[in-house]
Amino acid sequence: MIMEKENWIETVMESTNGITKVTPSKTLFSKITFKINQEKKVSPQTIWLVAASILVLVLLNIAAIKTQRFSKQETSSVYLSGTLNQSNQLYQ
Amino acid sequence: MQNNAFDLNFLYQTYNLLVYNVALNYVQNVEDAEEITQDVFVKVNYSLKNFNQKSSLKTWIYRITVNQSLDFIKKKNSQKRFFIFGKRNENEYDYLNASAFEHPGIELEKKEEAELLFTTINTLPENQKTAFILSKIDGLSNPVVAEIMEISISAVESLVFRAKSSLKDKLAHKYLEYRKNKK
Repeated sequence: MIMEKENWIETVMESTNGITKVTPSKTLFSKITFKINQEKKVSPQTIWLVAASILVLVLLNIAAIKTQRFSKQETSSVYLSGTLNQSNQLYQ
Repeated sequence: MQNNAFDLNFLYQTYNLLVYNVALNYVQNVEDAEEITQDVFVKVNYSLKNFNQKSSLKTWIYRITVNQSLDFIKKKNSQKRFFIFGKRNENEYDYLNASAFEHPGIELEKKEEAELLFTTINTLPENQKTAFILSKIDGLSNPVVAEIMEISISAVESLVFRAKSSLKDKLAHKYLEYRKNKK
């Protein structure tokens, strides 16, 4: 049984003997050139520039929304204080 | 000759077999080997201007192929682990061993044993796997493997020896399973 096991292990270890080289598909080179051309169209610098621009826009929008909310609150409190000072006559 | 060496078409014609077959030995799958080959030549195209000629062009391309193959496997494994709530498999080599074995270079009558061997190779640490694949499957000499892996010749010999020992131990454990299946 030990011999059988050793023989089996050897058979497995030697199973790649005589392995032949495989040729890739004929279309592979055109896929490579296509991939290179695609990467040339959009350079990494462009991607970073676009990402940075989007970030700046988002931050500006957040700041604008915060400013708007603050000025709305101010307007409301100014209006309220204005209405309080009017005559206490309900019917004029 | 200098002009030709920097021409992508020339490089592809010269090295496509080398790159594709090394990749195939790593992933044992035609589609994935093609993807790795594409990545290698794209990288070669971009990095050629930085090639300092400290090693030969062939050695440099071998090195890129090995690194791209290992990166590809890591990327596939991390994609499998991304699905936190999905079926998580503890086996890190699951991508390799789950993919359909497809190595057209193996003789048909040896396919079953070869599949088992590659399954076991896939469980080796990266440096042992690389040394074994380049030395025993690709048939490169130890000095060439040492140059590709940027280690000493004795380090290559040690890695190949440890890889073989480890493979034999793992196969010894698989033998019982093999016998059960045969009955």
